[in-house]
Amino acid sequence: MGDMFNVADEIITGTKDVFSTMLSVDLENEAIHENKKCDIQSNLTSMIGLGGGIRGLLAIHCPASVAKNITGAFLGMDVDDLDDDVKDAIGEIANMVAGNLKVSYAKTDISVELAIPTSIVGDSFYVSGIADANRIIVPFIMTNETFWVELMYVANS
Amino acid sequence: MDISKNIIESAQEIFSTMVMMEISVNGENMMTSIPLTESISGVIGMAGTHKGVLAIHIPNKVAMAITGSFLGMDVDEINEDVEDAVGELANMLGGNVKSILSENGKDIDLSLPTTITGQQYDFQPTKDAERIIIPFSCDAGEFTIDMQLEK
Repeated sequence: MGDMFNVADEIITGTKDVFSTMLSVDLENEAIHENKKCDIQSNLTSMIGLGGGIRGLLAIHCPASVAKNITGAFLGMDVDDLDDDVKDAIGEIANMVAGNLKVSYAKTDISVELAIPTSIVGDSFYVSGIADANRIIVPFIMTNETFWVELMYVANS
Repeated sequence: MDISKNIIESAQEIFSTMVMMEISVNGENMMTSIPLTESISGVIGMAGTHKGVLAIHIPNKVAMAITGSFLGMDVDEINEDVEDAVGELANMLGGNVKSILSENGKDIDLSLPTTITGQQYDFQPTKDAERIIIPFSCDAGEFTIDMQLEK
């Protein structure tokens, strides 16, 4: 199985679509990182597994202030802490971005199922996939700060 | 939750056959997690007729001992070998839980196994999920298995 479409492009359009539709925010992205190290500073990561045609993980990595800004835009209210509202909001966004990716894969006849989102909150943690997984990281800019959308995946044999 | 007994049996079988370690349940099941410090978590998602997340949360020292036993070598730091071993444990547990939840296991797909490593982090569900956390102990120390299923 090869990439019959550009996964990075699908991640970019899928994410921008969620932000413009649900948050009325026009996102800019920076250069993608493909299978190389990327310095991610996350205080809150929401991740959702993908199974079926591929085995993957879609993660949204946010520094604390961006997570709060995103939640504020999503829910229309100010947020002070990384509380349940923030975890639910970023988790829901991860779910929607993964949903868009599922539709993208379906167009190439690859059927993907979504698991449920979980959140990691902390000051110093990092997420790794298995050694031979493909890894695509897209940095996005929101209110002059960066957050990252990452897809790790292997083809399902 | 009924499946905790199945999870315990699966975990004991995997540890005994693959890791050469005996493990036992170490207390009551819990429903909420405690913050994790200097730990590594192996995580795998399940999708299909049942949706959920299964995680194994292991303090670094215990993870190094488990990896050493799994791979038959000395391990003195959290490196790629430890990440792969912990991810593989989640993968094997996920495979067993699949068959527990669905008769032939074919209606549930497993995601990519991943690991979270950190000094201090909180691992939490986002949506309404039924959650069960089972505490275990082995010679090297304690760890937990954390199973969340969409309601």
